[in-house]
Amino acid sequence: MAENRWLATGNFFTSYRAEQRIFLTNIDRLVFTCFLLLLFVWPLVFEVSNKYMLVIDTILIAIVAVYGLNLLTGFAGLISIGHAAFVGVGAYTLATFARILGSDHVLLTHYWPLMILLAGGVGAVIGAIVGLPSLRLKHLYLVIATLSFQMIFQWTINFSRFYDQGQTIAIGRVFWFAGKVTRKQHYFFWYYVILLVVVVLGFAVRNLLRSKHGRCLVAVRDNDRAADAMGIHPGFTKVYAFALSGFFAGVAGALHAYLWRGVGFESFTLHHSISYLAMAIVGGLGTLVGSFFGPVAILMLELQVENIAEFVGHYFTAIGDVATAFRPLSFGLVIVLFLMFEPRGIANWWRITRTYFKLWPFRY
Amino acid sequence: MKNKQVTFMLVGLSFLLMLGFSAQALAGETYPIALSLAITGPTSDVGSPYSKGVEDYCKYVNDEKLLGDDKLECFIRDDGYKTEVTKRNFEDFLDEKIVFYLNYSTGSTMAMRKDFDEEKIPTLPASFHAGNLVDSTYVFLPISSYSSQAVGLAEYVAANHKGSGKPKVALFLHPSAFGRAPRDDVKKAIAAGLNIDLVEIVEHGKDLDNTAMLQRFKSKGVQYVISQTVQPPVATMLKGAQSLGMIAKTYGEAGKITFLGCHYAGGPDLIGLAGSAAENYYWTTSYKLMTAPGPGTDAQLALAKRYGRDEKVAQSQNYTNGIMVVQVAVEAMRRAKTKGKKVTRASLYEEMLAMNGYNAFYPLTTVGPVTFSKTDREGVDTLQLYVAKDGVFHELGLPFASEYVKKIK
Repeated sequence: MAENRWLATGNFFTSYRAEQRIFLTNIDRLVFTCFLLLLFVWPLVFEVSNKYMLVIDTILIAIVAVYGLNLLTGFAGLISIGHAAFVGVGAYTLATFARILGSDHVLLTHYWPLMILLAGGVGAVIGAIVGLPSLRLKHLYLVIATLSFQMIFQWTINFSRFYDQGQTIAIGRVFWFAGKVTRKQHYFFWYYVILLVVVVLGFAVRNLLRSKHGRCLVAVRDNDRAADAMGIHPGFTKVYAFALSGFFAGVAGALHAYLWRGVGFESFTLHHSISYLAMAIVGGLGTLVGSFFGPVAILMLELQVENIAEFVGHYFTAIGDVATAFRPLSFGLVIVLFLMFEPRGIANWWRITRTYFKLWPFRY
Repeated sequence: MKNKQVTFMLVGLSFLLMLGFSAQALAGETYPIALSLAITGPTSDVGSPYSKGVEDYCKYVNDEKLLGDDKLECFIRDDGYKTEVTKRNFEDFLDEKIVFYLNYSTGSTMAMRKDFDEEKIPTLPASFHAGNLVDSTYVFLPISSYSSQAVGLAEYVAANHKGSGKPKVALFLHPSAFGRAPRDDVKKAIAAGLNIDLVEIVEHGKDLDNTAMLQRFKSKGVQYVISQTVQPPVATMLKGAQSLGMIAKTYGEAGKITFLGCHYAGGPDLIGLAGSAAENYYWTTSYKLMTAPGPGTDAQLALAKRYGRDEKVAQSQNYTNGIMVVQVAVEAMRRAKTKGKKVTRASLYEEMLAMNGYNAFYPLTTVGPVTFSKTDREGVDTLQLYVAKDGVFHELGLPFASEYVKKIK
């Protein structure tokens, strides 16, 4: 019996090729296409304030960064708490050009797609270098190595005169076919650019995971000795995972620099690294969809906690310190609760929901 | 008959519409202004009273009809001292069609200078960093810059040093753009002939013990420490110095250290934090203190009482600071209205630049007039030196202006 590509209620793969499909059913493809269309069309239909466009753009950038972290930590099993520093490397690549050539130099304003790629490339190189200790270190020791990189990055920027000691280095407005992107168009323009990057890189990750280059990450994560026995070079794979992660982080950093029209040290601190890790955990480590859910959940939570903290801080002055503590408290609590009760993250809820609809009206 | 009824109804409707429009016209206009600052998070000890000052004076303007029938609408948001949140708040405020913006931190002011210029919105930050004025046209500093304050203190040290040779000075700075703001200008002033020996520049961390640093100061013969930071680290340093017996009992006492500080590194709250260790602490600001009675300070206490603020807020110089920035904004609005101009960003900007000479603004909450022009966007140019005695800051001498800052500009 030929398989029904529309109403498959289970896994009826007859070949490895079938199992490696990007979309398992036509319904999946249809839903994804509709969703993508919706993402591209809604800003043209609804009027959204700049504030919320900024929030949405920030979430999309975080998704790009979490792609990288998920590849490194989720798929390759290498924990990193220096991811914000990798994002910073991308952003400071642009800042370096801005300091040397000026913030409005044609390279930054007209050749921005190339600059974004270049930032990704620099991120990859630095990622590979930072990944070298992973040849000798594992688990907590590797965490300390990535933490060291975070600290070195912070120290370098904070004490470097060239980088204005972490003060914001301005990046000029970009140009595209219709001329200079004005302040009014800024957030919408970058929404489409970042969305495009998210979609392209999302497909890239999905495809990577279908290939031997992606599967080797999982193999090394699950058992590096077994992977070695099968002909995979564990050391190279680990360094490659760091480089890959650095590339995504670098791209995210460049997008961040363009969106915020400047690069400042305070966007790439240890706190941000832990945020990225929280996004990956809450979203679901080792899943592609987790890279979407995590940033949305954490950044929306942050927004809500900010509102509560503001309310408390403003109207209950005497407990202002409690309001200050709300953010780290809520943040830590969410991570702990997810680790305890849903270690597979929101991606698992998504899997359960999908399975329900796939089987509906049957229960199993 | 039916036609008559329709005509009557139409006339009635027109009358009601006219009444509605005229009532709207009589109700006056509303001018939205906004403030984003740290009510929680780092520096919230400054931000909290500052926001109360802004809030209370806005209420006062409306309650006392200082703008006639027109009203001031004030949006205040917490940004937790994060530039990203400040920017988000600013975008939100722009949707509210604000005509004047009050910013807070040095980092966010520096990061958003281009936004202020693009929006052509006059902005008064709580940061007095001279760098805020570089590459920007719409940022105004309420009072003398940190550079003027630190260099002014250094000049005082040079002029009043009792021992022989150059006075040995150390700078104690916040590890941020805010703290580093006056560092280079102090160096420039020394290069321009200011007679002090800058022995060390320290960027403090979150240490709860400064013994090592203070012992190092002692070994290097430091006689004066000028602080440009917030109050808690200064309080920690002073307590450490007190326990080591290093604090000078009189200005410039030999073998001891005299501590001095800029605006945010002092004030009544410092005495609350450091207790007796704050005795003989020299502090400069352009604001009048509650301990120096006068019409401005009386009005501030009355304002705090009117809106139910506690004693701590009422006495805080940061409450004064918040009041003063709204005073300046309202004065610009009042002047624009008097000249028959519509209150817009452009007219307020014009009025701000015209605030000089005979048109200088005297808010009474400061030790000198607020003056702005195209070439000078630092508000109050004079500083007052205060010294802590018996748990209270007292005025010391007359208001002064830094001479070397003019030379190095």
